[in-house]
Amino acid sequence: MSSYTVRDWVTVGLFGALWGVVEMTLGSYLHLLFPPEANTFLTGVVMGGIGAAVALTGRHFVPRRGSVLLIGVVTALIKLLSPGGARLGPFVAILVEGGLMEGALLLSRSLRPWTFALGGALAVGWSLPHKFVMMRLVYGADVVEVFYKMVEEGSRMLGLDPSAAVLIMAILLVIRLAVGGLAGWGAWALGGAVARRLGRRRVAVGEGGH
Amino acid sequence: MSPWGYLLFTGWAALTAILVKGEWLPGLALFELAFGLAWSRQGLRMLLRPRFWAFVLTAVVVGPLLIGEPDVWLGPFPLSREGLTAGWEMAGRAFGLTLAFGLGIGSLSLSDLVLLFDRLGLRGLGFATALAMNLLGALEEMAGVTWQTIWLRGGARRPPAALKHFLVTTIANTLRYGDDVVNAAAVRAFDPNGGRPAPLPLHRADFWLAALLAGCSGLLLLLKVY
Repeated sequence: MSSYTVRDWVTVGLFGALWGVVEMTLGSYLHLLFPPEANTFLTGVVMGGIGAAVALTGRHFVPRRGSVLLIGVVTALIKLLSPGGARLGPFVAILVEGGLMEGALLLSRSLRPWTFALGGALAVGWSLPHKFVMMRLVYGADVVEVFYKMVEEGSRMLGLDPSAAVLIMAILLVIRLAVGGLAGWGAWALGGAVARRLGRRRVAVGEGGH
Repeated sequence: MSPWGYLLFTGWAALTAILVKGEWLPGLALFELAFGLAWSRQGLRMLLRPRFWAFVLTAVVVGPLLIGEPDVWLGPFPLSREGLTAGWEMAGRAFGLTLAFGLGIGSLSLSDLVLLFDRLGLRGLGFATALAMNLLGALEEMAGVTWQTIWLRGGARRPPAALKHFLVTTIANTLRYGDDVVNAAAVRAFDPNGGRPAPLPLHRADFWLAALLAGCSGLLLLLKVY
C-alpha cells in the first residue's frame, strides 16, 4: 500500500463515503420497511448490489491492487462509527463483500468486465450465507439444530418436501448472483461513463494497474 | 484507557464468548458489564435498545420449541427443557459476543482509529476513513440536490435515463470534490507514506486490564473451561 498516492487515498475515502451514505440512508429506510428479523432477502439484494456497484466503480479511479477491499474497510468503519451503534453483522458483511470483490479482481492480471461481474455476483451472493454464518458464530452450534427443525416444521406446515428448502435457497442464491453480476457489469459501464464525463481516460480492457 | 486496551478487550472477550462452556457465560457477561461501567459507559447504551434484547432473547423463545424432545406443555405449546437450557446458552453467547464488540471496538472514536492506523503503518487508511466520515453529510446533500435537479427537469418521464444521469453526475461531482481535497492535502504537505507516526502510549489501565485478562485466561485454562 506504500504505492498509494494521496489522490488514491482520497478516492478510496470518497467511494467509501458514497457506499456509507447509501448504507445510512437507503439502508435505514429498507431496514425500517423490512425489519432484518422478517426479511433479509430484498434488503440484502438491494444494498449488496448498490454497494458492489459503488466499490467496483471506485476501482476505475484507483487502479491499484487492494483498492476495493480498502473501500470496503472504510465503509465498514463508517458503519462502526455511525450513530446507529456498533453492530457486528453489517460490519462483517461489508468487509467480506469487499474481500470477495477484491478476490475476484485478482483472478485476472488486468481489469476486465467479467471480473467486475464476478466480483459483484460474489459480493451480493454472500448476503445469503452471511446470515447463517453470523448466527452460527453468535449463537453457537445449537443454532444448527434450530435451522434443521425450522426447515422440517416449515415444510410440514406448507405441505412441501424438506428438499424443497434446498431448491428455494438455490433459487434465492441464483437471483442474488444475477443481481450482483448485473451490478458489477453496471459498475464497469458506469466507471467508463463517469471517466468520459470528467474527460479522463477510462481504464481500458487489458489495463490493470496491478 | 488507550485504544490498545479496547482492542485487547474485544479480542479476549469475543474469543472467550465463543470458546467457553455455557455455564461460564453469565460470568463473562458480568465481567463485560464491569468493564463497560469502568471504561465504556457510552457502549452500554446498547442495553437500552429493544432490538438488542429482541436479538438476544429470540434464542430463549426459539430454543424450547425447536431443540430437543418436548417434555413439558405450556398451554398448547410442547416445550423441551433441554431446548430451554440450550436457548439460554445461545442467548448468553450472543449477549457476550455483541457486548465484546460494542464495548470494545465499538467504543473507539474516529481520532482513536486514525491514531491506531497511523501507529500500525496505515496512515493512508486512517486519512481515508477520517475524510469519508467528514464528507458523509456533504455527499448526502450533493446526491440529494442532484436528484432534485434531475427530477425537476422531467426525470420522472424516463426513470432509467434519470437514474443513469443521477449516478454519473453524483460520482463525477464526488470526484471533483476529491480534487479539492487532494489540493488541500498537497498544500499541507501531507504524506501518507512518510513521517513519524504519532505516539499512542499505553496507559496504566491497559497494563491492569492485560494482567486481569491474563489471570482470567489462566484460571479458565486451569479449570478446563475452554
